[in-house]
Amino acid sequence: MGNLSINLKPNFMGLLKCLNSINWFIVFFSLINLSMCIYEDQIGKFDWRQSYVGRIKFAQFDTVSTARKIIVATEENVLAALNLKTGQVVWRHVFESTSSGNIQLLHLSDQIITVTGSNPYLVRGWDLSTGVLIWEWGLTLQKNEHTDFSEWWVQNGLLVHMVPKFGSHIEVSVYNVATGHNRGATSKLPAVWINEGCVLSPPYYTCISGSPGNQLLLSMDVTSDAVQIISKPLAEYTTARNGNLNPFDTNTVIPGFLLNEKIILIRGNKFEAINIAISEPSASVALVDSASGPLVLQTWNDEAKGFTLMAHNLVSGQRVNEIGWSDRSLSIPEPELSAVICTKTAREQHVCRILVTAADDASHLIQQEGRVLWTREEALANVVAVEFVDLPVSDLDAAIESEFDQKEGSVLAAFTRRLQSQFQQLQGAVRALLAGDAAAADEPPPLVRDYFNLHKIMVLLTDTGKIFGMDNLSGEILWKLYEPNLNTEAAVMFTRRSARHPPHDAYLTVVGKHEETGNGLIVSLNPIRGTPVGEQTLHLDVQILQCAVLYKADAQKLHALILLDKDENVQILPESSAPLVENMYMHVADRSSAVVRGYALRHDGERVSAKNIWSVDLSGGGSQRVVWSVSKPAAERIHSAGRVLPDRSVLYKHLNPNLVLLLTEGPDPVHKDVVVATCVDGVSGGVLSAHVHRRARRPALPLHSEHFLAYLYYNDKQRRHEIATLELYEGPERWVPAGAAFSSLRGARAPHVQRHAYIVPAAPAAAALSATERSLTDKHVLLALSTGAIVELPWALLEPRRALSPAGEAREEGLVPYAPELPLPAEAVVNYNATLLRLTRIHTAPSGLESTSLVLATGLDLFYTRIAPSKTFDLLKDDFDYYLISVVLAALVLATYSTKYFAARKMLKMAWK
Amino acid sequence: MQQFTLIFVVHLTALFASTACIDYDGFLNMKLEHSLNCNDEKFCHRGSITLKSIRTGVPIIDQILFNEKHLEALKKLANEDEFYSIKTTITTGENSKGTEYLSSVKAQAFLENGLSDVINAWILPNGAVIAVNFQVANSTQPLKQATNEYKLNSKFYLRYIEQAPVPDTASYIQKMERDREAREKGEMKDNRSFLAKYWMYIVPVAIFVMISGATNPEASAPAGR
Repeated sequence: MGNLSINLKPNFMGLLKCLNSINWFIVFFSLINLSMCIYEDQIGKFDWRQSYVGRIKFAQFDTVSTARKIIVATEENVLAALNLKTGQVVWRHVFESTSSGNIQLLHLSDQIITVTGSNPYLVRGWDLSTGVLIWEWGLTLQKNEHTDFSEWWVQNGLLVHMVPKFGSHIEVSVYNVATGHNRGATSKLPAVWINEGCVLSPPYYTCISGSPGNQLLLSMDVTSDAVQIISKPLAEYTTARNGNLNPFDTNTVIPGFLLNEKIILIRGNKFEAINIAISEPSASVALVDSASGPLVLQTWNDEAKGFTLMAHNLVSGQRVNEIGWSDRSLSIPEPELSAVICTKTAREQHVCRILVTAADDASHLIQQEGRVLWTREEALANVVAVEFVDLPVSDLDAAIESEFDQKEGSVLAAFTRRLQSQFQQLQGAVRALLAGDAAAADEPPPLVRDYFNLHKIMVLLTDTGKIFGMDNLSGEILWKLYEPNLNTEAAVMFTRRSARHPPHDAYLTVVGKHEETGNGLIVSLNPIRGTPVGEQTLHLDVQILQCAVLYKADAQKLHALILLDKDENVQILPESSAPLVENMYMHVADRSSAVVRGYALRHDGERVSAKNIWSVDLSGGGSQRVVWSVSKPAAERIHSAGRVLPDRSVLYKHLNPNLVLLLTEGPDPVHKDVVVATCVDGVSGGVLSAHVHRRARRPALPLHSEHFLAYLYYNDKQRRHEIATLELYEGPERWVPAGAAFSSLRGARAPHVQRHAYIVPAAPAAAALSATERSLTDKHVLLALSTGAIVELPWALLEPRRALSPAGEAREEGLVPYAPELPLPAEAVVNYNATLLRLTRIHTAPSGLESTSLVLATGLDLFYTRIAPSKTFDLLKDDFDYYLISVVLAALVLATYSTKYFAARKMLKMAWK
Repeated sequence: MQQFTLIFVVHLTALFASTACIDYDGFLNMKLEHSLNCNDEKFCHRGSITLKSIRTGVPIIDQILFNEKHLEALKKLANEDEFYSIKTTITTGENSKGTEYLSSVKAQAFLENGLSDVINAWILPNGAVIAVNFQVANSTQPLKQATNEYKLNSKFYLRYIEQAPVPDTASYIQKMERDREAREKGEMKDNRSFLAKYWMYIVPVAIFVMISGATNPEASAPAGR
């Protein structure tokens, strides 16, 4: 045995040598490993998901099952069950976003009954506790007219569908709910008196009809076999000349309606006016059942008292004092009672739970003493724009920074500054020690920048005009600001001053339209605290054509906002920055006419004027329209100006910072539909490259960074989604020497354009490019698919330079051989199994760590995560064993010194021998 | 018979021309106007470019000569670092009304490069022009003077907008086929025995083992002591 081991000895050395060379292979293979998964125990460590349902349209309390829930149907066509205690989504069904998913009816009995769509309709029954579909039947009406005003309700286990034909008749059909069996076919009830102002309070349909001053209040039970019309002169109920009918927001008791702030019930085929005053014309009124008889609840937002709720007993007309309060701290604009449930406790006290939906899409569940159990900010289901804002540095860091900022001054002055700041640091440390841990534990972590700048504030602009400030690490809402007049269609956000410039605060501006006038509306706020700053909310008296932020900052480190209005006048905010305008260009693309105009902005000593210097007409004979216009990200850094080829030459990238990609689509007489992609220089108006896709539609999701561009389109011929990619190169020589500024206005050279197209074997919903601080890291493309996954793809796979069978040199460069289909591997899904429904956008932002890019996906769900396209090369692994490495190090040091000691002893002994 | 072949050849050239991505042929008329030395109007005549056929793309350029007044105005613009704008109105057989395009160059650069510019007109396959770009040509030639008048030095290029590439499935499948065939061929050939196939690898290994076996007794002797 001993002999054998000795035999192996020289071979073992050879093996080691062999292993050494294999080592390189191991390193090499680990580098090209493209999988980017996380471990199971890392779920939720760097990412979070928030589920939303949209603005609540119908809501009902589930009183049947043991686990208390609220079943809601929303304007986003979502049916969901919310936990009564926490407001969390228990289960959720997302229907089609088009009109076929529109929810018409939500009814709760022992199961949930919904009617969705608009001719054809789908009637479905769902299990209450699990949300499982139990049965379903479809219904198609022969005639498609007048169905916009049709009404659905469930009565005695039968589904009633009513189609009013104004000025003529009402069609009523009754179906068996579960089977769809039509019980008595469709009956037509003659009613010439119905009009648009009618209200339904099942089963009564009530209208005001007749000539002014001589009006009648008419009502009819549409489900009864015998047609019986209740008719009374309007003057009996109201003194006003014009009657205005309104239904109750929630009614579970008696058929009734509101007539000019007066409650009228229909009891025993008679109108019955109730003597309970409605305090506000805008108040939301609900009729609910309780243990002590029916109650009338009304709520409104009082200017003086804030959110106010009041309850009256329907029978006695007395105020119920225990239900009703005012709260100034609650900001619930235009509250609407979505659902109310009232029970009685053992001590004969009313216990009410009230679900209130506000104009800002937020839903609040409130108990009768005014305690808000939970709030759901459903505006976040429709995020329009996102901006990542850096947090300010802590006071201590700011002091250190200011110390190093001051360059001038003598050595002595610098020394005293040094001493001062050291003393401040010492003071801070002592104070922290004295305060102890107790105080720190209670307070939330302060909003200061962390070492790697991973902690940021995300400012989210929503469709309703509500602006949120959200902590990116926890997803917690830090502040919210509701601007009811803000129309966020095509709204943009700019960070005009970051928090890096103490004592100045950060400054963020939202540029949108006014809801009514369509003129410009500018909201400026501090993104850290959500407080208005600067010009605050500014309503312009003109429509905005284009806006931009000046690249130069003024003395207060504020970047001015430049607005080009409809009359081609320029406004600068603040006006004091006008002299800074120099070499500023803007372009405006008209969507429908496809004319793109470029303007040069000039300051002539007094004011800034815009001169139209170029215009191109992309309409292609009048049929094309502009779908997308994308320029480069404003604060983009470029790491390398070229690519090294295998023969050690450099292929220089064409890095034109003014490049704009314009995508147009339109019909073509020969090729059905065509998509044209045009690369235009935004300063000179020069076309750099253009190409046509024949038989293609719906260009979408353009990506633009450095020297490459990509966009998706639908190939009509092959019926699939494809992605076209472009790269612009200057060639083996630079056009301008290194370090020289690029100018669009000099030279008439065209870049070399590399193009290719790939098949995307999925339906993409959103796309984004990863962004890192210095662009050292690889660029990865994030593709959100309609399946609810976000796939991370390296740009190397989309590169247009991929050759079908690369020859020797190209292979050496590391280009992946061309394959027409993009691989979408499951391990590249960044959101693992957390399916994200109806994604619309992905936003990326750099962090302080070069390897890491922050990602926020918005849609019906919000999903935040971080990605590391080139792996976390600048960060220790998450499960790095600090304990083990310190033990090993200590042991090594110990061993070194002990062997040294023993060696010395041995030497001594040897010497004595 | 000869006539027939001639017609055939003409037809072929037409086919080749259509590979320049144009579905349509016709004339193209460009009216050039500039904002220089125009008395009251914003734009005045500078010249015209006419193409008999879009497909051949041969231009006939006819432009005015700049006089001292033009040059003075241009120098004034250059001093103010302003733009020299050119408006182009294009009329074609289909579009008799005309479409306007605007383009500008820096007056300074235009003057420095001896009034030479490059005109690019980008044309879609359906014959519609999307853009007319004026760019200053990088030439260092001085102003050409001919009796107090200066000649404009313009080059015109008609740029056809090409069809974008489509995913290349056909050649990929062909490549796959070729690979598969090559593999199959390789497998068909290799029906020799294991030793016959890999003797060149086995022999050196065997020799190596033999040599190391022979050296062993010597190596083990000092270790044994």
